[in-house]
Amino acid sequence: MKNLMTIFMAEFKKSHFLYFHTNMIYFSLLVWPIILFFSAYYSFKPFDTKSENVLSEYVSNQEIGSFLLIGYLGYIFYFSLMQSAFQMAPERARGTLELIFLSPVSRLAVIYGRAMANLLEGVWLFFVFTVLGLFFFGDIQPHNWWGIPLSLFLLIISAVVWGGFLNAIFLFSRDAGFFFLIIQEPLLLFSGVRIPIPVLPIWGKFISYLFPLSYVLLIYREIVMRGASLFEVSTMIYSLLVVIIVFILLTSWIIRKAEKNSKINGSMALY
Amino acid sequence: MIKVEQVYKTYINKHRNFLFFSETRQTEAVCGVDLYVNPGEIVGLLGMNGAGKTTLIKMMSTLLSPTSGTITIDGMDVVKDALKVKSIVNMIAGGERMLYFRLTGRQNLEYFGNLYGLRGSLLKDRINYLLSKVGLEKAADTPVERYSKGMKQRLQIARGLINDPKYLFLDEPTLGLDVSVAKRLREFVQELVHREGKGIVLTSHYLEEIEELCDRVYIANNGRIIMHDTPKNLVFNITHGNVLNIVVPEINDKLNNNLRTLIELHNANIEISSNEEGILISIKSKKDITTEVVQTIYNSNVNLISLYIEKPKLEDAILQLENGVA
Repeated sequence: MKNLMTIFMAEFKKSHFLYFHTNMIYFSLLVWPIILFFSAYYSFKPFDTKSENVLSEYVSNQEIGSFLLIGYLGYIFYFSLMQSAFQMAPERARGTLELIFLSPVSRLAVIYGRAMANLLEGVWLFFVFTVLGLFFFGDIQPHNWWGIPLSLFLLIISAVVWGGFLNAIFLFSRDAGFFFLIIQEPLLLFSGVRIPIPVLPIWGKFISYLFPLSYVLLIYREIVMRGASLFEVSTMIYSLLVVIIVFILLTSWIIRKAEKNSKINGSMALY
Repeated sequence: MIKVEQVYKTYINKHRNFLFFSETRQTEAVCGVDLYVNPGEIVGLLGMNGAGKTTLIKMMSTLLSPTSGTITIDGMDVVKDALKVKSIVNMIAGGERMLYFRLTGRQNLEYFGNLYGLRGSLLKDRINYLLSKVGLEKAADTPVERYSKGMKQRLQIARGLINDPKYLFLDEPTLGLDVSVAKRLREFVQELVHREGKGIVLTSHYLEEIEELCDRVYIANNGRIIMHDTPKNLVFNITHGNVLNIVVPEINDKLNNNLRTLIELHNANIEISSNEEGILISIKSKKDITTEVVQTIYNSNVNLISLYIEKPKLEDAILQLENGVA
């Protein structure tokens, strides 16, 4: 455990000095998601959600702000980890990835430490914005304040696991960037960031449940917006845990496979 | 002890021809190599580009696995016991890669130390010791991007020693460094071996460096080890010894006959040409026959204008090997 904490702190410090070295980066990390949020909010405005619109069954006109804020909070958590995975490319190019694999360090610890570090650095500003937004403009049920830290905990854990998975994919291939471009839009569309999952067709719902973010957003919104009890969301929490375990196993397998492959064809040194 | 026994390495890579068409290509990088490295000695690995040196080093350091054959380090297999092996080896490559440029020298060492499970005062002391050893104490808290090439290379050395490895692989460690920095690095490498008893495998294109540092040298060509000996013996065996250059004003019949007899007796080679000073006689011999040659010239009543001995270097030996002379 001490070793894991050491690796986590090492990755945290490294990421901080490498990628978050100027205040402009923090500024952009706040402004960019806010622009995304307002863009989505005002895209919904012209559409009629009051009467028989299918969307109105799931999100009322008053709830759109909170719905989108929570959606984008989750999305930014996940997206920031996609950016962190992209940083694997410079690690390859500068040869430091090979040095990490030269050491006896636990590969999973590095991958998750890296994801956690990038997550915390990348989202805290927007997180503060979201909490303030929900507090002042959202419709939060006061009796469910306990739900916020629980949902946040689930969001962080699932995002780190997601980030670890993406980082592992980049270990496997130097051309993994295309995968992220392919996955970015479906993540936004199918995981319920802007559109409620029940509105989606069956095939869309199937894709939704491949993303851990879908479960987290459902839980988050049920607790924060609808005032659901822990019992009411327990099925969703169990489902999320299963998905998280599957992703951890998959990540571990990909790392082992990537290292084995690299030992055979020397691909870790290619960039 | 590092023991490499009958190691082969074949890379299987996909080569894209056009659009979606690709073919699999096999490249034999290492073919049946045997070598050993004892703790407390520096072993050189020489060869032309593509000889398989870096592949061998990467296999010994666990970054690549052999296609067949075995590599053990202190009895541990580099494939089966990779994690244990990793904790007692490290690698330093030349050039300016393998560092985080926005981090300071100290932060780089902290990060890599953490990867080896070092932390707290143990790590702090180790970093201070290494920084002072490579002369970077004053620049320790400066970002690496502001370092000169020599400083980056010295930091690389410190990084490679962070886990106090028993065996160190140096792949072109002085690449692109100026003479004084390279000399200091060579002195430091000698200190690591003679004082700390580390086993070092060194590849370099600077043959004088290999000649100066290495106890033994392996010469690789097309993935095979073609020669193995001490640098001195290699030079001697490949180049057939020193070249004795003598300039005389003339060669009379007596001198000519006596020299031919002497050459035949010692199985040496003779070349005669003329230069500005007179006639140049170059004699290449495994044995030092300077005294006999001077005596022969004296007995032939010929004056001696000048005499100098050309000692061949490892570079000459490698060039001869390349040219297929040996």
